[in-house]
Amino acid sequence: MKFDSQTYRLTDKGRFGSITLIVGIIGLILSCVGWFTDSQQFYFSYLTAFVFWLTIALGGLFFVLLHHLVGAKWSIVIRRFGESIMMVIPLMAILFIPLLFGLHELYLWMNSEVVASDHLLQGKSGYLNLNFFVVRAVLYFVIWTVLAFLLNKYSLQQNQNPSPEQIKKFRIISAPGMILFAVTLTFASFDWLMSLDAHWFSTIFGVYIFSGSFLSLLCVVTLVVIRLQSNGVLKEAITKEHYHDLGKLMFAFIIFWGYMAFSQYFLIWYGNIPEETIWFLHRWEGSWKSVSMLIVYGHFVIPFFVLFPQVTKRNKAVMTVMSIWILVMHWVDIYWLVMPTLHHHGYHLSWIDLATFIGIGGLFLHLFWRIFTAHPLVPVGDPNLEQSIKIVS
Amino acid sequence: MNKPAENIAVSSEDVPLITGGQTFSSITEKIVGIIEQKTPKTWYLAIGASLSLLMVLMGSVGFLVWEGTGIWGLNNPVGWGWAIINFVWWVGIGHAGTLISAILFLLRQKWRTSINRFAEAMTLFAVSCALIFPGIHVGRIWIAYYMFPIPNQMDIWPNFRSPLLWDVFAVGTYFAVSFLFWYTGLIPDLGTLRDRAQTRIKKIIFGILAIGWRGGNRQWRHYERAYLILAGISTPLVLSVHSVVSTDFAVSILPGWHTTIFPPYFVAGAIFSGFAMVMTLSIIARKIFNLDHLITLNHLEKINKIMLLTGMMVGYAYSIEFFIAWYSGNIYEQFVFINRAFGNYAWAYWIMISCNVVVPQLFWFKKLRRSIPIMFIASILINIGMWFERFVIVVTSLSRDFLPANWDYFSPTMWDILTFVGSFGLFFTLFLLFIRVLPMISMTEVKGVLPEADPHHSTGESHE
Repeated sequence: MKFDSQTYRLTDKGRFGSITLIVGIIGLILSCVGWFTDSQQFYFSYLTAFVFWLTIALGGLFFVLLHHLVGAKWSIVIRRFGESIMMVIPLMAILFIPLLFGLHELYLWMNSEVVASDHLLQGKSGYLNLNFFVVRAVLYFVIWTVLAFLLNKYSLQQNQNPSPEQIKKFRIISAPGMILFAVTLTFASFDWLMSLDAHWFSTIFGVYIFSGSFLSLLCVVTLVVIRLQSNGVLKEAITKEHYHDLGKLMFAFIIFWGYMAFSQYFLIWYGNIPEETIWFLHRWEGSWKSVSMLIVYGHFVIPFFVLFPQVTKRNKAVMTVMSIWILVMHWVDIYWLVMPTLHHHGYHLSWIDLATFIGIGGLFLHLFWRIFTAHPLVPVGDPNLEQSIKIVS
Repeated sequence: MNKPAENIAVSSEDVPLITGGQTFSSITEKIVGIIEQKTPKTWYLAIGASLSLLMVLMGSVGFLVWEGTGIWGLNNPVGWGWAIINFVWWVGIGHAGTLISAILFLLRQKWRTSINRFAEAMTLFAVSCALIFPGIHVGRIWIAYYMFPIPNQMDIWPNFRSPLLWDVFAVGTYFAVSFLFWYTGLIPDLGTLRDRAQTRIKKIIFGILAIGWRGGNRQWRHYERAYLILAGISTPLVLSVHSVVSTDFAVSILPGWHTTIFPPYFVAGAIFSGFAMVMTLSIIARKIFNLDHLITLNHLEKINKIMLLTGMMVGYAYSIEFFIAWYSGNIYEQFVFINRAFGNYAWAYWIMISCNVVVPQLFWFKKLRRSIPIMFIASILINIGMWFERFVIVVTSLSRDFLPANWDYFSPTMWDILTFVGSFGLFFTLFLLFIRVLPMISMTEVKGVLPEADPHHSTGESHE
């Protein structure tokens, strides 16, 4: 990897792009094999992997929207990371298509006989029906793609034309964009995850998914930054202060996630109404119990204490380990949301889980890398770039 | 390095926070001047009015103690009336103070310095008002100490599984930490007041309060560390206090109360109403004391943006609650929400929606965001709306519970109204005393955001 610190461009992009592409293709081929051997397992594994990577892409979109909305300066040097990650959303739209073939296996409410014999599902059929489901999915992806494209377009324009009008353009998109993002993410999480158990409902569910989404984005950005810097890229532009800020945000969102998870669990546990507790009961059965406990400790307690002191947030090694750890926990979290629908009595890891994960992940990272390295790695036209480099946290 | 276009004046954040060419000494003169000048006549008028209202509060609470909670409009299904609404409303208002002083501090939002002091004071006074209501709602207030887990010979303990007990802990902690934070922030300013004091009594009082502040390097380092730690301790309180308050409702199984989004939804609402109150107070204060250069239109605009954001958060919660009520397939849940919007309390519901969701939409427009009359009226409307939000939650769910035979309509009595109105007397009395004897804006922190306080501050010439 070679880096030109004058233009902020990579002159030699290294092998990351080709490796991820090969891994991705192998993963997808294996996933196809998985589909032939056990199609139901395939669809659930695929949904888990898809949601995992999609939430990261949406976290990128949120990061950029938030950055522009509040006029943040410290994050300018890492803005291109967020922008390139959100530009993967169109790929995720294409990767959503295989799920459409498995809707009957994934969602009980898609089967008309089940609905016919279930009074509650009949009541929901105005929302939970095939046509509306697909229309909504298309709508979500159109909104996300348009937002990502516009923000990215303006960002590239800013490189050529660093004028204040450009900043205004970002804002005009970001304010309504944030509202659209909140609504679409909420309903997407209802559609794709909550309706796996169509009887169950929780008003906080959308916010819960959002909290994990932004948290995992922060981890991905941190990992990419550390990897690049160990190759001598962006060594002057991104400093310990930025790690510290990323770590602080990570810490804050660990707490935010814990707050959401606790609110959801605690109120349902305390209310103890069968129609609500059944969802947690499924996740307390057999070996699911250990997964539930793993999430409590792994997704909250451990990162909370590790990221609490200042010194760990400024330490690259700790930040690397923690980012990977939290990403693993995010995957466990999604797995825990999706899989109890299929495996009722305990978790059952399958090789297809891995195949779909690296399949989608490989393509995700490949596309991210291509978009990211095609342009200067920082927004060179941003008038506040220098302030961002010099920030002291 | 690429030239990042130096000559472009960028976005509005880069305009100076403090205007009018202020210096360190002019800031001190301005802020301490408010306290040192002769008490203005308007202050006497204001405190007279506040004290009258305070008398109303004491009168109505006195009568309540004499007669019992029967003087309120409570009836069989609606056992929680205005008292709990007022409690939640006042506690909510306090939240903006803590958010401004703690969270905005951690987020390096320098504009907070002009408003944090009196916003924190507002927190303390609002929480004081709030604490009255659950206290008197127990009816026999001479045994209100039963709310605390005090060891006693009869081995009677409060129910630790009750959110009402959690409230005692949450709000008690909140008051204590907010007070410490506020006081710690005051210390350097108290030192200034002591040094400038004209009379011996003032010198002694401020001297004691300033606990030996000399402004030395080491003292500053300790002070700043303490401030940071207190900000860290206060930050979870912004979320936890109103989350606990929300569990008063959400741990029950009453439709309209039992829903998982309640904790964050209540927190957003609390910050929303708190900022509205900060806005109301700061507009009045900057008008009376000519603080336009310290609390500028830019500050007010930022507050308006936060109100727009938090207003939409509560709007999000209203919509999701409505949607999930339908989606749940639970007929009781569905009924409650349709009843809220179209039943006999529809008027309250639509006041809530118009004030909390529609009014903040004005702030999409820069012109309206920077118009003092608009934001003044909007801030008052928002607080009316937030009071009605709690009214809708408390009263509509209770008055129409599972058994139609129990249904009843709640109407407040004169005593409900007088107690609530009287609580403003307590709030404003405390607030007026505060602005008369203590610096209502933090001199120390405002000086810290002047350009000359920046160690990298250059006197105009370029670095290159």
